[in-house]
Amino acid sequence: MRWQRGLWLFLVPSFGLMALVLLWPLAYAAYLSMFDYHLGSPGMRFVGLANYGQLLSEARLWQSLWTTIVIALGSVGVEFLLGFVLAFALYRLTFSVRVFMILLFLPHIITPVVATLFLKWILTSNWGLIDATLMTFNIGPPDWLGNPVWAKICVILADAWIFTPFVMLVLYAALQALDQAQIEAASIDGANSWHMIRHIILPSLVPVIVFTVSVRLMDVFRFFDAVYVLTGGGPGTATETITMYTYQLGFQLLQVGKASALGIITLVIVAAVIATFSHLLQRGYGRTG
Amino acid sequence: MKARRMARVRNQTLLFVALTIFTFVNLVPLIWAALTSIKNPADAFTIPPTVFFHPTFEFHRQVWLDRGFVRYLINSLIVSAGTVCISVPIGSLAAYALSRMPQRRASPILFGLFTIRMFPHMLLAIPFFVMGSFLNMIDTYPLLILALVAINQPFTIWLMYSFFLEIPRDLDEAAAIDGCNLWQTFRIVILPLVRPGLTVAALFSLLLSYNEFLFALVLTGIKTKTLPVAIASFGGEDVSDWSISAAGAIGIMLPIVVIMLFVQRHLVRGLTIGAVKG
Repeated sequence: MRWQRGLWLFLVPSFGLMALVLLWPLAYAAYLSMFDYHLGSPGMRFVGLANYGQLLSEARLWQSLWTTIVIALGSVGVEFLLGFVLAFALYRLTFSVRVFMILLFLPHIITPVVATLFLKWILTSNWGLIDATLMTFNIGPPDWLGNPVWAKICVILADAWIFTPFVMLVLYAALQALDQAQIEAASIDGANSWHMIRHIILPSLVPVIVFTVSVRLMDVFRFFDAVYVLTGGGPGTATETITMYTYQLGFQLLQVGKASALGIITLVIVAAVIATFSHLLQRGYGRTG
Repeated sequence: MKARRMARVRNQTLLFVALTIFTFVNLVPLIWAALTSIKNPADAFTIPPTVFFHPTFEFHRQVWLDRGFVRYLINSLIVSAGTVCISVPIGSLAAYALSRMPQRRASPILFGLFTIRMFPHMLLAIPFFVMGSFLNMIDTYPLLILALVAINQPFTIWLMYSFFLEIPRDLDEAAAIDGCNLWQTFRIVILPLVRPGLTVAALFSLLLSYNEFLFALVLTGIKTKTLPVAIASFGGEDVSDWSISAAGAIGIMLPIVVIMLFVQRHLVRGLTIGAVKG
C-alpha cells in the first residue's frame, strides 16, 4: 500500500505528549545539572560542569555504582538459574502447568511495594517469621536487614523474588517455540536431558537470553521500590544503589542541580548498556538467522 | 514398554511434587501476610504459628475505613482510569500509523520508543518535581496522570503495534476503495478488529499505573496519595500495626489477582514488551 501522508497526523498526540512530558523535562534536567540549586532557596548559581566533577570525585557515587553492579549481577544470576530450572520443569510437566504458572507468577504481578513489604515482614529482626522460627530452635539469627552484607543479599533476593517469574515466563515461551523435531531426533539418538539442554536447547535460546538479560540490567538502574521499602539504602549506605542515591540527593537533601547531574550520568551508563546489548543482539541474530 | 511408561509416570510425579513444594515455599511471604491480616495480635506472634484460630476481619475493616485507605483507593482509581483513558487511545493511533508505514521507517521509531522505555525514571522525577512546583501542580491528579501516560506510551504503542500488524493491509485498501478516508478506515474498519488487543493494553496500563510507586511518591501529597505510597509510609515499622498493614497490603493485592486471571493468556506478549513493571 502507498504510504499515506495523513498517517503522520496519527502520531501527533502520542509523540507530542512524549516530547512535552519526557523530552522537555529531560532537557530541563540537563540544564538544571549545570546549576548549584537547592530547592526552596531563592537563587540558582551557574556552575558549569562543577556538579559532574564533584560527583565523579566522590567515593559515595562509586560506591553506589558498585552496589548497583553487585545487586544487578547477583539478582540477574539468581533469576536466570532459577528461572531456567522452573521454565524447564514446566516445559516437561504434562499437566496442571497453567495453575503453577499463575501461582508462580503472583510475586511478579502484585504491586512491588506490597511484595517487598511481604518480604520485610519475614525478614524483620526478632518479630519476622524467619527470626521467630530460628529463635525457637535457640539459633541466634543475624540481623538480616541491619548487617551490610546480609542486607545486600536480602535486596538481591527481593529482586529475585519479584523478577524470577518474568524470566521464567519468557524462557518458557521460548522453549515452547523450539523445534520439536530436532529435540525428538536427539532423544532418539540417545541424548540425555543434560546433553539436550547443553547442546540443543541453550544454544537456540541465546538471542532470548541476551534480550532478557539486557532488559533486566537496564531495569536495575530503575530499581527503587524494593530498596526504598526494604532497607532505605541502609544500613548506612550498604544497599544504596545509584537510583537511591539520586533520590537522597534530590528529595532528601534537595540538591536538585547535583541530583540532575547524577541522573544524567545514570542515563549515560544505561545508554552504554543498551548500545552494548543491541550490538550483541544484532550479532546473535545474524548468526542464528 | 511398560517399564518406560512407569518411569514416565514416576518422573512426572516427582516433577509435580518438586514444583508444588517450591511454589508453596515461594509463596510463604504472601501466605504469612494473609494469615497475619486475619489473626488477633495474640495469635499472630506465637511460634510455632498457630494453625487454628478464630479469623477476624476487624483489621481489614479498620485499615479501609478508620485509616482512610478508601480515600487512597479512590485516588488510585482516578489516576489509573485517567491514565488508561488517555494512554490507550493515543497509543493506538500512533501504533496504527506505525504498523502501516514501510518497515524501514517504522523500525527506527520503534527502537527509539524502546530506549525511551529504558529511561531511568529517577532522572525524570527530578525535573517533574521542579516543574510541577513552579506550575503549582504538585499533589494534583493531572500531573501524575500525565507522567504515567508518558512513561506508559512506549509499551502501549509496542503492544498495539503487534496487534495491528496481524490485520492484513488489504482491508485498509478495500476500505479506501469503498471511499473511507484514513480516519474512517481506522475507526470503522480496523479498530473493531483489534478489540482484544485494546482490552489487553487497557488492563496492562491499569496494572502499571496502579502499581507505580516512584512518581506517585514524589508528585502526590495528602490529597492525591495513591495506595502504594500510603502502604509504604504506613507499613512495617511498628510491630503493633502489622495486622493492619498486612490487611492493607492484602487488600491492595486482590484486584491485581483478579486482573491477572483476565490477562494471563496474553502475559507472554505483554511482558516481553515490558508491561507491569513499566
